[in-house]
Amino acid sequence: MNRNVIWKVVLILGVLVAFIVAVIPTSNNPEPIKRGLDLKGGTHLVMRVNVGDAVRLETDQAAETLKTQAQKLNLPTVTTRRVNDASFLATVPQGVSTADYERLAKDYLGAWDMTRTPEGAMLFKMKTASQTSIERDTIDHAVETIRNRVDALGVTEPIIAPESGNRIVIQLPGVDDPARVKDIIKTTAVLQFRLVEGSPGADAASTLATVPENMKNDVDILQGTREDELGRPVGVEYYAIRKNVPVTGTDLKNARVQKGQLGQPNVGMSFTPDGARKFGALTGANVGRRLAIVLDNKVMSAPNIKSKIEDSGVIEGQFTQAQASDLALVLRSGSLPASLTTLEERTVGPSLGRDSIRQGVLASLIGFIALIAAVLLYYHGAGINAVLALLLNLIILLGMMAYFKATLTLPGIAGIILTLGMAIDSNVLVFERIREELREGKTVRAAIEQGFSRAFGTIIDTHMTTIISALFLFQFGTGPIKGFAVTLLIGLFASVFTAFFVSRVIFDVVYKPEDRPSTISI
Amino acid sequence: MQIFVDTKYDFIKWRFAAVAFSLVWILIGAAFYFRNGINWGIDFAGGANIVLRFKDAVPMDKLRADLTDASIQQYGKPEERSVLIRQPQLGREGDYAGQTVAKLLKDLNPESADPNKIDINYHGRDRISDLLFSTDPDRKGTNEAAKKYYFDMAQNIINKRSEVGLFTNMSQVTSVPGVTAADASVLNQRTFLGAFTLLNQETVGPQVGRELQMKAVWAVVLSTLAMGAYLWLRFDIMFGFAAIVCIVHDVLVSLAFLGMIHGEFSLNIVAALLLIVGYSINDTVVTYDRVRENRRKLKQRMTLEEQLNLAMNQTLSRTILTSGSVVIVLIALIIFGGKVIHEFAWILLIGVLAGTYSTVTIVPAVAIAWNNLTGRKHDISGPTRSARIEEPRSETREPRKRKAV
Repeated sequence: MNRNVIWKVVLILGVLVAFIVAVIPTSNNPEPIKRGLDLKGGTHLVMRVNVGDAVRLETDQAAETLKTQAQKLNLPTVTTRRVNDASFLATVPQGVSTADYERLAKDYLGAWDMTRTPEGAMLFKMKTASQTSIERDTIDHAVETIRNRVDALGVTEPIIAPESGNRIVIQLPGVDDPARVKDIIKTTAVLQFRLVEGSPGADAASTLATVPENMKNDVDILQGTREDELGRPVGVEYYAIRKNVPVTGTDLKNARVQKGQLGQPNVGMSFTPDGARKFGALTGANVGRRLAIVLDNKVMSAPNIKSKIEDSGVIEGQFTQAQASDLALVLRSGSLPASLTTLEERTVGPSLGRDSIRQGVLASLIGFIALIAAVLLYYHGAGINAVLALLLNLIILLGMMAYFKATLTLPGIAGIILTLGMAIDSNVLVFERIREELREGKTVRAAIEQGFSRAFGTIIDTHMTTIISALFLFQFGTGPIKGFAVTLLIGLFASVFTAFFVSRVIFDVVYKPEDRPSTISI
Repeated sequence: MQIFVDTKYDFIKWRFAAVAFSLVWILIGAAFYFRNGINWGIDFAGGANIVLRFKDAVPMDKLRADLTDASIQQYGKPEERSVLIRQPQLGREGDYAGQTVAKLLKDLNPESADPNKIDINYHGRDRISDLLFSTDPDRKGTNEAAKKYYFDMAQNIINKRSEVGLFTNMSQVTSVPGVTAADASVLNQRTFLGAFTLLNQETVGPQVGRELQMKAVWAVVLSTLAMGAYLWLRFDIMFGFAAIVCIVHDVLVSLAFLGMIHGEFSLNIVAALLLIVGYSINDTVVTYDRVRENRRKLKQRMTLEEQLNLAMNQTLSRTILTSGSVVIVLIALIIFGGKVIHEFAWILLIGVLAGTYSTVTIVPAVAIAWNNLTGRKHDISGPTRSARIEEPRSETREPRKRKAV
């Protein structure tokens, strides 16, 4: 046999082996081709991070800074009002010059632009650069927090990626309880320890009435659950809670579920060294008062401080075991810097995925077998050649998917089988051409040569057009459709190789030039 | 076996009838859209789709009473006891599907009032694993090994559920390998079989829906133009234009079909349209490749009509065979592929057939009209080597000589 041909045969066998190895499951890699969410079951979420929350917080803090610094200098009290997320208005009492305040702003509010309104108030607007950086930090922080939580849930191979438009795309394969996972991801989990003023009441107004006059501006009225003597929930009540937040969830070292005195689950916390110091100072100075444990602006409980506590604390509430363990999980993984809004969700239950695979594979097998039967019937000997090329195409396609870690989706299965249908096109083009050349009276070898070389340009053109549409499909598609586009692209490249190179080599091996073959089965 | 050898069909003759037929087909499709409106799927319209499978007969009346704004229909065969619930988009972002499922879980499962009981048909592995670990019926302790022991047991129970669809009897749960009598007693006490299991839930908010709509339109328009541009570069402007008309025709014919069956316009359908754009043009490329090749060895004067007829007859068997093989595959997908890809496969089938049909009818019609309007420049009287329609590669080269070993 021609040395050139031997080389090619070796190359083809090498490719064959390499790709077969790629698709064989091993103990390290039990699933060489990743199944997409639609086949495996799982959840795909697109969340918007409401970065406005974080910007608003920054604005409130800036207003607060202005007020406290003015207080330190014994300047007349300035009143502030937030105009929108990124700006606030500071009004000084009638007849007081704003010059002192402007100096303060220069020192403490460097990230803010100030303009004077016609009424003589100062309008502070956050600089665009700092707003952008806050927004970016918020997204990064949110991604990290979500990743912590998802990892804590034990989801394998999650994808958590920021996207334009303040969005985060979250893909959680194999998740079988989407409601719980969404709750865990979306919980802001801002934990605060704040002192209670006055006494709780049945509505906001009566609660505020119990607060001393000079404290009225320094408290928030927050909702909590009223309990009877046995700790059972019997309604809501309102607490007046100091605005000052001495200890927060970031001071926690750990949180876990434990059992209360009556065996009911609650969440135990331990503090970081710094947190313990702060918590000790807070409890030590306020023995006898009530300390509210506030989670996401809701009072979970407000126990009396019996003595100075440093190392640990307990969050009590009407938790079920599952709720308590989920709360411990979100506290351990930190709070979200801003709330999240669901923009898109696609969840496939595991049993639907199983049905889809069964049907998809069955349909593809039947289609494939029908295809092979048709080709063999029509082309006889050369049909075997085409079928071999087709099988190799399938192996390359699956092997490439394994190498590239592409995901197999349901449209992807359709894509594979369709690609094979199109791969046949290349063989048909060549074979029809060979038949034509034979009809014109060429010898078998010349017909093979001419058939392949004449069909080449056409094959490239037909593949290019499909590649163009596959690229658009990839660019615009989401999830499963993208998977389909990838499958299609890989398949197209494989089909040029198999239909043009492999099938040519097979002809060269079967109809050797030196044998001067006079008949060909085609 | 050979078919369509040395055919001499006069395709050109049929072109006006074909154009008329296509127009009528598209107009009928348009009339359907006009009457029924576009059946936008959840991807574009937004809202929620929920597919549930029930343990017993589907409580259709209860569902309808409970979810007044939703459309509820049977999903799959009646014996699968599944429903598809479609909720319209309410003009705001939110977890539509999640809220509806939560409501149904509460309304259809009286047992769910007890917060200490787990719905074993709805909740996942972790809940069951947590329950078993915290009650520890098999006395494994509280170490990591015990955690893993119960985790694996819970996973087996969920696998069993996926396999059977949903549990209809508690004995299915307790007979899962590895579940001991002690576990079974805890499961019997602390879990219940909910009325349904979740097969699929999707929520698309208004913002994402709008974006997907825009992206879909752009993808189809741009890929059509890209295709035309590519063929203009490879061949000539007449053909580039004819190709665009051909693609638009194939897409419209497929869309008309979608309108006739009142199919749902979803992302999968857009994917199918994009594929049609890329694939249906193949026949046309093959034909025109042949026209170009024939021109090079032309011996006597030939009008464009004759050139096209010749090329179409020469490539006819290839056209039929290739389309045929794709059609075989698509029919298999339509019959056996299941609900999810059913409409996708149908649209592709129509698109592929339209592509083959337009190659022998619409493309010649457009090319001939173009030729007539531009002074019949494409009627050739001898071999051409015009750079405009010449392939960059030399064709006359002798096949490479091989050295025998």
